Amino acid sequence: MNRARIALFLLVVLVPAAWAHTSSPEFILDPVMTKGAPAAPVTIVEFSDYQ
Amino acid sequence: MLKEFPGKVRLVFKDFPLAAHERARPAAEAARCAGALGKFWPYHDRLFTNQPRFARDELVQYAIEVGLERASFIRCLDERRFRAAVDADAAEGRAAGVRGTPTFFINGEKLVGAHPVENFRSVINDALKARTR
Repeated sequence: MNRARIALFLLVVLVPAAWAHTSSPEFILDPVMTKGAPAAPVTIVEFSDYQ
Repeated sequence: MLKEFPGKVRLVFKDFPLAAHERARPAAEAARCAGALGKFWPYHDRLFTNQPRFARDELVQYAIEVGLERASFIRCLDERRFRAAVDADAAEGRAAGVRGTPTFFINGEKLVGAHPVENFRSVINDALKARTR
């Protein structure tokens, strides 16, 4: 029973946490606010404000 | 960076107006209006040059200076046509862990704060190497 609980804990808590830590965020890219080659291998997404 | 790595880098600007910066929000919406009228980047540059002078009349003046038609810009600004779009960017940023500005993601690699150009060069070179592996 304890083993089953531990397995469930690993599956439900630790695996998603590890995934969230390692996966890259994906952003919606507005072409109006984008410059550079559309097929460029490197994309810099800048979150900023003007003040 | 775009000039230094021609064809290899693209830059995407996302709005993240901080609550403490009360004029950042109207400036962001104004820049979106400029974008809708075909002048996002010139207007964006104008805002950074003139920060934090973002009173409504000043925002309109910058629009005229970059060649936008005054009435169309004012209509867009006063209707707050891009309020939801700015909110959406900020929500996206928060979901990705953005807490302050500027925050960069270079092929997903997070870089927080203003950094020397060497740091960007290094992260970009690493990203390019990772792509060719």
